[in-house]
Amino acid sequence: MTQQSIEQHNVVLEVRDLYKHFYLHTIDSRCVEALNGVSLSVAAGEHVALAGTSGAGKSSLLKSIYRTYKPTSGSVLLKLDTTTFVDLVSLTDAELATLRGTKIGYVSQFLRAQPRRSPFDIVMHAGIQRGMDRQTAKDAAAHSLQRLNLDEVLWDVSASMLSGGEKQRVNLAAGTISPPQLLLLDEPVSALDPANRESALELIGTLTSQGVAVLAVFHDIEAMRRLASRIIVLRNGRVDYQGSPEDALTNLEGVAR
Amino acid sequence: MTDLLNELGAEHDQKQFGILDEYSKREIRRAILTAVAVPGYQVPFGSREMPVARGWGSGGLQLTLAVISPSDVIKVIDQGDDQGVNAVNLRRLIVQSTKVHETTTASEASIVQSRHRIPEDGLDEQHILILQVPVPEPLRGVERDMRELARMHAEADYSKMWVSLYEDKVRNGVITQTTGYPCLVNDRYVIATTPIPRWDIPRLDQSPFLTLFGAGREKRIYAVPPYTPVTPLTFEDVPFEVEYTPGANCSQCGSSKSFLVEIPGPASRWVCSDTDWCERNSGKAQ
Amino acid sequence: MKLVTAPEWVLKVENLGKVFGNLSKHGIENTGPEAGTSKDSVTGAIVAAWDVSFEVAAGEALGVVGESGSGKSTVMRCIAGDQAATAGSVKIRTAPDEQLDIFNLSAAERRQLRVNKIAVVYQDPAEGLEMNVTAGGNIASPLTAAGWRNFSAIRGRASELLSRTEVPLNRMDDAVKSFSGGMRQRVQLAKAIANRPPIVLFDEPTTGLDASVAAGVLDLIRGLLEEYGLAAVVVSHDFSVIEMLTTRCIVMNHGRVVESALTDQLLEDPHHPYSQKLVSAARA
Repeated sequence: MTQQSIEQHNVVLEVRDLYKHFYLHTIDSRCVEALNGVSLSVAAGEHVALAGTSGAGKSSLLKSIYRTYKPTSGSVLLKLDTTTFVDLVSLTDAELATLRGTKIGYVSQFLRAQPRRSPFDIVMHAGIQRGMDRQTAKDAAAHSLQRLNLDEVLWDVSASMLSGGEKQRVNLAAGTISPPQLLLLDEPVSALDPANRESALELIGTLTSQGVAVLAVFHDIEAMRRLASRIIVLRNGRVDYQGSPEDALTNLEGVAR
Repeated sequence: MTDLLNELGAEHDQKQFGILDEYSKREIRRAILTAVAVPGYQVPFGSREMPVARGWGSGGLQLTLAVISPSDVIKVIDQGDDQGVNAVNLRRLIVQSTKVHETTTASEASIVQSRHRIPEDGLDEQHILILQVPVPEPLRGVERDMRELARMHAEADYSKMWVSLYEDKVRNGVITQTTGYPCLVNDRYVIATTPIPRWDIPRLDQSPFLTLFGAGREKRIYAVPPYTPVTPLTFEDVPFEVEYTPGANCSQCGSSKSFLVEIPGPASRWVCSDTDWCERNSGKAQ
Repeated sequence: MKLVTAPEWVLKVENLGKVFGNLSKHGIENTGPEAGTSKDSVTGAIVAAWDVSFEVAAGEALGVVGESGSGKSTVMRCIAGDQAATAGSVKIRTAPDEQLDIFNLSAAERRQLRVNKIAVVYQDPAEGLEMNVTAGGNIASPLTAAGWRNFSAIRGRASELLSRTEVPLNRMDDAVKSFSGGMRQRVQLAKAIANRPPIVLFDEPTTGLDASVAAGVLDLIRGLLEEYGLAAVVVSHDFSVIEMLTTRCIVMNHGRVVESALTDQLLEDPHHPYSQKLVSAARA
């Protein structure tokens, strides 16, 4: 995509020819190729779902963008303001750390170890980190937790006491409060029961209307069909196909069969 | 014994004055000059063997014998008492080996050697007060490592002393340290004001007389020169207090304004620690 | 123009080296991860740390990971001034436009830094505390060193710090030697932050504590890092400590830095063979 077309489409994330190879020195220096030249872009207000069989590179791609994996080569351009992009691959660790939580959000299946902080605190601090004042963050945190049906008696207990599904909702609430311009979702509803899953999907659905660029991995096709504005199918660490949910899912089902 | 001292004095009359040889005097005087030049700094010196046991005033005795001259008048007190056994012995040693005059009245003396008190009155610019010091190191109680002690003095790092005062106050409700109360001399070095009681510390501050501290066993000399500030270490909100027993009076002279000591017994009573002052005070009262 | 700027460093370590003994001519080349030893085979000198560089900003915690003997504690002790470095420089920024190269300072100035600029929390509380002194008295130490002379103010500040680190106030006047291991670490933390230093170095702060006690102390440290916006260096062999406290870290092996990475990246995508070995051992 040219510079001009990036601007036209209001692109927030532009991945170019991204490779990620792991060299496992402890296991006879084996090389595992997770990504083999992925190029894609996500625009503001767009929800792009990544599909593909397990091992196709979906999570690796999210982690390589967030730099939990350090890309082997290629670039990950993130929009900073209307005209400037920065290549995340070339930033120093300290520079990248400043973008995390503020410009890029990452919601995984797991809540990272924060034993004695309360769910309410975790969500509120995420809001404050993204520039909300304390009172606004408080209100927003309450609103968000309510919306995800997290029982109010759990709001001020230690997060380590929560069940998997409850932790996942806290994670999602923290990730989506005053959402950053780019949100990476790695199976954000996998541990939820149907009712909670419903409200979580609804919440994720509102992100696009707030102009957030979402790049997501779901384990179920139904969620993708419902939320995605575009689907990218990965295979062997490459983009295999991309298109509208209808076409892509038909295509994908065809592959599965 | 007396004859032996007389002999020693006579024998040395020609060559030297008193029982210290001239080289020793010179070395001690140099240490004294350093001590006066750097108020509160503990100057090491080559402590000599004295005809008294270490711990019985050998440091004070060496200072006295190093600074004394034939025209001096000496007063020696043990506690506050001119007639204490140790005071009598030291005085006899000094007087018989130097033939100087002796007195019990502070104002008439030029050198006062003491193992506890500063005389209640009478000391002025012409006096030298010599104190016999058992433990010259104020930080001994909070630090054992000699190099670390040297460093703390060099850097005026006295926070351990403050911590010990804090601990004293927390554990006992008051600061209990009596003799050897740590004081900052000339805003620089902390000294142990041992052997004097807290009572005498305010009297050391900006005093007109020269005070020399001698520790024979520890081989250290330090000084508070005339008109030098001496500030007891104390917290701003915990005023420094001298020893005081409400209602106590001297059973001899009736004074309540002097440093009193308790004479234990079935009917314990209080008397002035400075016996000479007490006698003169009784005379005035009569 | 730089698009993204990391916050400015408060602590900057450049090419730090510490050698015990005399190096032979090729002592540096013949030691390190490739050589598989930190011992100079000619002279027997130990290259405990060499060419170690990193920066830490306010509000940021940097982890120093490695096995015992890797040199991580040596690095910390050189910064703290407990040991004299052989090479390199350590700078601290004391004001926006003012920095100090601490190896150029006199021993007395270095010690003064420890009062209100660089605090250390040791693995062994006996190293950071006077065991016969009360909890309050231990905190009075840095306060009086910083010039506090008011008894009630010192008491007040000490009790404020002890409540912050969750030491029961009825233990304030007890000697630290009567405290449990976890409680001693809490007193050490209170002492460390007494004068609000911008930099705190943690040397295995929870090693040796029971798991549940360690978790509480870690929580506390994490809270203090946030609340005070400290620039922290956390030395640990324990990845759960590193993961919980730090955003970036360096991995040391035979006295050299073999990898530096974002902490989550080190845990999920370690590059250097030694880091991979460490991580897989921790994950096993």
